[in-house]
Amino acid sequence: MAERSIIDQLDDAVTAMAEGRQLDLTNLGPELSALVGVAQGLIGLPHETFKAELQQQLIRRDSMSSPAQQPETNPVRSMSLYICVADASAAIDFYREAFGAKELWRLTEPDGKIGHAEIQIGNTGLMISDEYPDYGTLSPQTIGGSSVKIHLDVTDVDAFAERAIKAGATLVRPIADQFYGDRSGQIADPFGYTWIVSTHLRDVPVEEMQKELDKWNQERSAKKSDEAFGIKEPKLRRENRHTVTPYITVHKPAELIDFVTQSFGAIEHFRATGSAGGMHAEVSIGDSVVMIGGAEHIQPMPTAIHLYVPDVDQAYERALKAGAQSLMPVVDQPYGERSGGVEDIHGNRWYIATPFVELQTIAKDLHTVTVYFHPIGAQRFIDFVTDAFGGKELMRHAEGDMIMHAKVQIGDSVIELGEARYPTQPLPTAIYLYVDDVDATYEQALKAGGTSMLAPTDQAYGDRNAWVKDPFDNVWYIGAPVKGQSWGKK
Amino acid sequence: MSQVTESEERLLIEAAQKDPSRFAELYEQNFHRVYAYIARRVRDRAEIQDLTAHVFHQALANIGKFKWRGSPFAAWLYRIASNAIADQAKRRMRESSDQPNPSSESSIAADLEEVERRARLFSTVDKLPEDQRLVIVMRFASEKSIREIADALGRTEGAVKQLQFRGLENLRNRLNEK
Repeated sequence: MAERSIIDQLDDAVTAMAEGRQLDLTNLGPELSALVGVAQGLIGLPHETFKAELQQQLIRRDSMSSPAQQPETNPVRSMSLYICVADASAAIDFYREAFGAKELWRLTEPDGKIGHAEIQIGNTGLMISDEYPDYGTLSPQTIGGSSVKIHLDVTDVDAFAERAIKAGATLVRPIADQFYGDRSGQIADPFGYTWIVSTHLRDVPVEEMQKELDKWNQERSAKKSDEAFGIKEPKLRRENRHTVTPYITVHKPAELIDFVTQSFGAIEHFRATGSAGGMHAEVSIGDSVVMIGGAEHIQPMPTAIHLYVPDVDQAYERALKAGAQSLMPVVDQPYGERSGGVEDIHGNRWYIATPFVELQTIAKDLHTVTVYFHPIGAQRFIDFVTDAFGGKELMRHAEGDMIMHAKVQIGDSVIELGEARYPTQPLPTAIYLYVDDVDATYEQALKAGGTSMLAPTDQAYGDRNAWVKDPFDNVWYIGAPVKGQSWGKK
Repeated sequence: MSQVTESEERLLIEAAQKDPSRFAELYEQNFHRVYAYIARRVRDRAEIQDLTAHVFHQALANIGKFKWRGSPFAAWLYRIASNAIADQAKRRMRESSDQPNPSSESSIAADLEEVERRARLFSTVDKLPEDQRLVIVMRFASEKSIREIADALGRTEGAVKQLQFRGLENLRNRLNEK
């Protein structure tokens, strides 16, 4: 009989120990007997769940004043987080990589689906399962976001965030010292959950925190009125969105939000994780909404914007201070505005202008944020938006055959364009286009020469969406509320 | 279970006396010691867990009374554990004829050395590569057979045995390093 391998012999010994049988150690070689010694020491290894649960018990007990004397009045013994993700196995791998999680155990279906798993992050257990739509167990990716954020108390938030981002997380809010005594930021995992990561630096009394918050709010409102953009507090309602809304996609959306806030007094309304795992945020500047999104792994699509502000000199200066490069200093233009241009570090071009007359007298539907296109073949571009989206040309200034500047009305918005020429190169852009009938507009856009990127589909975030790329490589996200829902847009 | 110096341990104790939420660090430092100490004396897993829980609840409740007298914090915990085990044995004796096992002074030092060695072994399991750690935990903490582990992890029995071997080898090497 062939001799059993050392691996099998070791297992024979472990099995014997587990069954409580006496072991004969005399015939084992030194290597094997050393390993059997280690295995003997492991008999009775404590359960990790026991260790974690006892710790939780002690924490709960600590929060009660005198557990020995006081009967327990609250029937709840503990609270745990139970998350559903679109791919639990991949999520467990990710949490291991990103957060140093430890898998405790899992129950697997025959098809590989995870019915229930428990992992431990730090000293806390987290329950995870795959999606079970029949039981209403759906992931953020299916629902279109999660309103729950998970807070992680870590020893070194910067190093922690760096590791998580390397593993595939997206930085949503930069890591910074906070008035409440923590250094913290927010990261989004690829499965639709946002994690607040934080290191406690110092204890701050509640009264002091409240004071700091009050101060921050005062500064914020002072800054807002200081911006004097004419709009007090634009409410971000669907009906306030214009037909044409730029969707600026960049590698570092959080930085772009900071830039538009500092430079143009933008107000952030929300940020979340988008369907592609990047950030999706909406800000307003003046009377317009701008969508900002992206992530390191998403192809950026910078945009050119004609930004009508009350004080071009101030906005231009602030933009330079916030890191933009000048494209053109501020001067009075013969065509009726004082304007200058900057390019931010993400490649977006901002043509900042204060018109000499009321904005609406130039065109009734001209808004603070007006998307500016630089197509090769401006006439063909006008033809496309006319055929595809019912655009109406409002004006043009041409030199010979070349369209230097034109305005086209689409819905309740105006877009502007000029033939691409040195130094202004084409800049394919993404636009969210609100329409009455997504399917009809989609068909029309394809007929006009567009290419389908996504046929009309109901999205979890409440819109019906179709994506069309025009012959100039601009991407139009055509959207309307899913039938039966309404957000009040005519 | 990382080793802390005497002065670090003193700071941890003082912190926990002022703010019981800081007890977590002492717990982390000493959990495996207490567990191993009790496991040396008690066989039944449920009983070991009950006694371990009892020790830490007592320690947390009485941390304010702890006075530093030069011996490590673990010694205090061992005393609580030893009393709890003795109490339980007394209760048992009334129910059956089992005798508690009194230990001589000379055996105590050797005994604590063994407890420390085992506590270190338990803590080192956490530092194993994930696949090895899972196998070791399932085999020794959950007391599963190779077959059961293979089914749960979707691997062959041969692969699980191999991971068990590598895990034990790794543990031996890591313990020898210290």
